[in-house]
Amino acid sequence: MSGSLWYQQAVALWRKDLRAELRTRVALGSMGVFALASLMLIALSMLSLKDEVFVDALGHSHLAWDNPAKMALLWVLFCFAAFAGLSHSFVHEESTGTAQNLRLFMSAHAVYAGKLFFNFTVLGAIMLVITPIYMLLTGMQVGGIMVFVPIMVWGGMSLAAVATTVAALASRAHTSGALFGAIGLPMLIVLLVLIMQAAKLCYSAHIDTISIVKDTGGLLSYGILIITLSALSFHFVWED
Amino acid sequence: MATLHSPVVNKEDNQKISTERLTPQTAYHVPLWKALTGLIMSYVIVGAFFIAHGAIGFAEKGVAARIIFFHVPCAVLSSIAYFVGFFYAARYLLKLKSEKIKPFLDDYRSAAAMELGFLFCLLATITGSIFAGVQWGSFWNWDPRETSIVVMLLLYASYLLLRAANSLKPELRARLSAVYAVVALVPAQFLIWAVPRILATMHPTTTLTDPRMTSLSYKMVLYPAFIAFVLLFIWLMQLRVRMMMLWEQHRHNAQQTMETDYR
Amino acid sequence: MKISLIIKQKQVNNHSHFIPWQQVVRTQTGLRLCPLNTLRLQISNLGHRYGGRKLFQGVNLDAAAGTVVAVLGTNGTGKSTFLKIVAGLLTPWQGTVSLSLDGAALTGEKRRHIIGMTAPDMALYQELSGAENLEFFASLRGLNPDTAMLRSSLEKVGLKGRGRDLVSDYSSGMRQRLRLAVAQLGSPRLLLLDEPSSNLDAAGIEIVESVLNQHREAGHIVLIATNAPHEMEWGDVHLQVAQL
Repeated sequence: MSGSLWYQQAVALWRKDLRAELRTRVALGSMGVFALASLMLIALSMLSLKDEVFVDALGHSHLAWDNPAKMALLWVLFCFAAFAGLSHSFVHEESTGTAQNLRLFMSAHAVYAGKLFFNFTVLGAIMLVITPIYMLLTGMQVGGIMVFVPIMVWGGMSLAAVATTVAALASRAHTSGALFGAIGLPMLIVLLVLIMQAAKLCYSAHIDTISIVKDTGGLLSYGILIITLSALSFHFVWED
Repeated sequence: MATLHSPVVNKEDNQKISTERLTPQTAYHVPLWKALTGLIMSYVIVGAFFIAHGAIGFAEKGVAARIIFFHVPCAVLSSIAYFVGFFYAARYLLKLKSEKIKPFLDDYRSAAAMELGFLFCLLATITGSIFAGVQWGSFWNWDPRETSIVVMLLLYASYLLLRAANSLKPELRARLSAVYAVVALVPAQFLIWAVPRILATMHPTTTLTDPRMTSLSYKMVLYPAFIAFVLLFIWLMQLRVRMMMLWEQHRHNAQQTMETDYR
Repeated sequence: MKISLIIKQKQVNNHSHFIPWQQVVRTQTGLRLCPLNTLRLQISNLGHRYGGRKLFQGVNLDAAAGTVVAVLGTNGTGKSTFLKIVAGLLTPWQGTVSLSLDGAALTGEKRRHIIGMTAPDMALYQELSGAENLEFFASLRGLNPDTAMLRSSLEKVGLKGRGRDLVSDYSSGMRQRLRLAVAQLGSPRLLLLDEPSSNLDAAGIEIVESVLNQHREAGHIVLIATNAPHEMEWGDVHLQVAQL
């Protein structure tokens, strides 16, 4: 009867959640439908902007509906999709009473790690499906692939981290659904600003080291700091 | 006997309550620093209009710029308040972990700092918006500092919302809001330091850091204004913490009376 | 506020760890030998309250290996809360719970891995089958859950052939049986049962009793929180948790 390590427990929780999710499809379904519907909405409402041109202070003219703008709206879409489905992971455990069993069997670190990776998996699946469709409909380009892919992966990870932490906090209160959006969005706005700043790199012609460090550094450190602080303080939320 | 949900648990805090905090203070016994706060604040209010000259290069011959004596300290305090709230939240969690006691006093201090942060953030937003309306011609310009202060306001609001949602369980409320204060330090830091720097801003950035940029008459009012506002912050925070403790004491007493009534 | 510790027969094996190799345990059927270990559960001056409401105060217990303790008390006195505190799910308002094995106090992960518990409000995953539930919790314990092991532990609680059904299709009695199976994963040295035979039929109650006897013989400690007379009978020691 040897105890298992925390990462083995986290993997077990991830597998359990994935199995249950594939059977019920609560999170995937709600996020998928939400994302597809808002994708259509964005694509339709931006039709009129397609040929709009604005002139900046220096006299250069730009397309208003350009690649960075398209990227920004794509991330707005992901943020709302994440908030439509990712709270399920914790709220479901608390409301059905299975959380007590997890507290008995698992350490808090393992629970946080397992839930974080499960949320990242679900969000990643949604992003993999939605991004190509969005690019087809709006004509968004990848730009520099070496910048685009890391930004998508790390942005998704940071988004999952914020959603996981906020879901854990909200699930302990009775009015969890309403609270989840309200306390999470201020944290997401900052993340969105950083992602958009980093995403400009994909489409800029001259990429130098300084701008890479300046523009992606914020996004990178934001995710790392959120995950670290959440992991350190998670057991205060989880345990009684 | 110590009780869990009375505001304090450890003896030292208990004594503080009984001797210092709950004794009504007489009018003859105003502490020096409180009198000083009143004096400096009066000086700032008078000085803002009579000592400082009209700022050069500003609208309305610089008269409108006098609002910065109140706007800038509010804006600075709205950032400092978060650090104070964070400090007490972190201390609450550390004490909870190591000493296995329930340090409610730190929870109240953290909450009071956040409430005041919200207040000063709101004041900074309003005064800033008025000044922007006069100076830049529009009350709202989506300048990075305007954006970040509004998000900061939202951050404070969601902290208070989280507290309100758990108000029936003081112990859980204390833990959850402390964790939120700790985790939300990351977006707060980005809002205070990073966002105004990575996006182009219309705000002057050197007014405070470069002394050559401001005239002597401005310094003579602006620097005391900082002192006055910080003292005011401490005073308000003290009052708020004392109020929370009295409220908790009252709730506790009511519960005890109820318990004996049912017996 | 007074707590009475009623010992049913005589003081049970208080000095049993002085006997080498084996220890004597007094049960309902008489004296019995059980494997030597010095598993010991010590609870001193335990008290808890919710908000301003006192539940219980000053509960003491010193249980050695091979003891079944029946925790008694009327509704609302905090029997379930008491078990949760012993399990480590709640931090008590006052007092301490210490669990030691061979003289060394167990904490953290070590402690977590030797505790099994069932309670009416500890639910299982409805969207998974009985066997999948068992598999998940077994892998959390670090066991290697193969088909044979899952089958035997389902068989032990009388759920043979029902392992593939979803828990949402189970009756309340079957769910209780599955809870028992989950609680016994890895043969925990401290088993906490909150109303173990609720919703169970006669055969189910027999299963609970045989589980109890197995754990007693293996030198484990079992705590049962109960109001049912037949469950009280199972206890070697009665612990009254009450606000008097």
